[in-house]
Amino acid sequence: MSETAANKRIKSTRSFRVLLLFSALLPLFFLLDLLIGSYYISVPNILKAIFRTENADSQVLMIINQFRIPKAVTAVLSGAALSVAGLQMQTVFRNPLAGPYILGVSSGASLGVALLVLGTGGLLGGSIVSVASSWGIVAAAWIGSGLILLLIIMISSRIKEIMTILILGILISSAISSIVNILQYFSNESMLKSFVVWTMGSLGSVTNIQLAVLLPSVLIGILIAFLSSKFLDAFLLGENYARSMGMNILFARMMVFLSTAILAGSITAFCGPIGFIGIAVPHIARMALQTAKHSLLVPGTILIGALMMLVSDIISQLPGSERTLPVNSVTALLGIPIVIWIIIRNKKSDRL
Amino acid sequence: MSIENSDKYIVLDNAAIGYSGKTSAVKTVKSDISVFALKGELVALIGENGVGKSTLLRTIAGFHPPVKGDVTICGREIGSYREKELALLMSFVSTEIIRVPNLSVFDLVSLGRYPHTNWFGRLLEEDEYLIEEAIRSVGLNGYENRMVNHLSDGERQKAMIARTLAQNTDIIVLDEPTAFLDLSNKYEIVHILHQLASEKGKTILFSTHDLTTALAEADRLWMMLKETVEQGAPEDLILKGSFDAIFQSKHLYFDQEKGDFRIWKQTKRTAHVTGQGLALDWTIKALVRNGFEVIDSPEQSTVLISVNYPEWTINHLSGQNKFDSLLSLCRFLILNEKKVYL
Repeated sequence: MSETAANKRIKSTRSFRVLLLFSALLPLFFLLDLLIGSYYISVPNILKAIFRTENADSQVLMIINQFRIPKAVTAVLSGAALSVAGLQMQTVFRNPLAGPYILGVSSGASLGVALLVLGTGGLLGGSIVSVASSWGIVAAAWIGSGLILLLIIMISSRIKEIMTILILGILISSAISSIVNILQYFSNESMLKSFVVWTMGSLGSVTNIQLAVLLPSVLIGILIAFLSSKFLDAFLLGENYARSMGMNILFARMMVFLSTAILAGSITAFCGPIGFIGIAVPHIARMALQTAKHSLLVPGTILIGALMMLVSDIISQLPGSERTLPVNSVTALLGIPIVIWIIIRNKKSDRL
Repeated sequence: MSIENSDKYIVLDNAAIGYSGKTSAVKTVKSDISVFALKGELVALIGENGVGKSTLLRTIAGFHPPVKGDVTICGREIGSYREKELALLMSFVSTEIIRVPNLSVFDLVSLGRYPHTNWFGRLLEEDEYLIEEAIRSVGLNGYENRMVNHLSDGERQKAMIARTLAQNTDIIVLDEPTAFLDLSNKYEIVHILHQLASEKGKTILFSTHDLTTALAEADRLWMMLKETVEQGAPEDLILKGSFDAIFQSKHLYFDQEKGDFRIWKQTKRTAHVTGQGLALDWTIKALVRNGFEVIDSPEQSTVLISVNYPEWTINHLSGQNKFDSLLSLCRFLILNEKKVYL
């Protein structure tokens, strides 16, 4: 007893140490992200702008406060939110390739944005596009993903089999994507471009005021995920086992879907669809922490997701150049090799 | 002797099992099932593939309601329980193989504490003690930090059983717990179940295809036949001749003396064997396997074999042959059919 209890303690301190390491890395990469941008600002100036604002150059202060800090915070929030959402979907659907968008939340958001940018633009002329660029897009995306969430919850309260819900989610996403395609087909070039730019994802377009909405949304989503960690542990064995251990399946599903939709929906609304972080990070977290317990995995994915997103943002700035890459491409190019590596490694040691 | 109703932990009274959808018609798999299981009994559910064993177990586990009739668990109708109440009385192991990456044996077993712990699933000292105890009673001590994916089939099944022990329920239902296991693991698992039933007073219901272990360890059999479900001690069912009905096949018959199924062989050929001890027994088995009927009278038999281990002698019309193994003896009998027989 004492020996195994000691073993257990050693193991949980291991997971704990990894969590500690990532929490130490996070502020480091946050600062690094502030440092890098198309306008060069030296390290002392940045530190001055953050910690001793009275001595700082006003232009530097403006860049840091209005652009770089919101962008870095958005990176942290989006990385954390998408990764936690992905973790929940992988666990509930017991599918290593599930991600935050598997329920169709992001295609719902796309449809909202497409209707706004392409649809109303077509009716009222091109002038609407500039209005639609900020709050309009956010609202449209949110309404779109919210409607999909309602649809999924309605379906899942009627259907017992979790795999059926997965398949329906994929089918609904595809159907919505076709509608979006039709809208694209009938829209003019400039509207099409503004929509395509939205689909590439962007961390930089979130303003401080928008952050005041995004931040609480993400915190609520993450809070629900924390509250669901016991459900998620039971979901690991599948819904039959979960029920036989006393879990109320419908309630647990509702919690998890709500959290996922809030997280993925809010990020998509403000930043556009950002791919692969949500699929790759949960795998990295499981491997780094060597555990399947969600009370550890949820904080783990939050930290690793935030780090990954900061790194993606730093890369997308193309340090030393004045151009930037769409962040969606960077996350995919960063995430896909990681997923491939994990799959191959798992096959080798027969862990999948 | 009458049985107290309070001792009947699982009771099916004229129950019909099957599936019912909201829109589709009810599909009844089997009806008129009346069986029960007592406190502390190890009950083996046997029957052919597709006869409805899994459906019966899933109905008892509360996954779908009975189509008709009553299923009573610990004196209350199963539908009247909430998930959590039922989880405190009954735990379940399905046929599904659990493959969860990075899940340790300790964490798997600790999931059994689910209905006992708080909202966040925090393990108290008592919970940890019960988990360790559960791991020990299936003989997995020292495996706590091993990953479930790295276990052998037998070890994984033991871990799944330990999880039901951590759940600390009076009733454990297992769907084919020995399906993927090799012979020694089969015996070990069923033996563990037997001990849990007799020593800890748990009512354990499991389905199986393995008659030998079921006959050796189970207190009660539920035998699912095409038309009915019979129950009784294994020996009662053997004496009643119920086993003949279980596999509706022309090629199989139940050997009531040996308590096992045999494949029908055309036995036109007869042999008379002399000798003693184990070598004699196994010689007879080898002859039976090769289609001989072993008879008592030397006059009526086609072959005469004498065993003097490690040597076998065949006496036949054209003389005598000696063999140093049963393999070569059987080979000789098959290849020289015409020449040998009297």
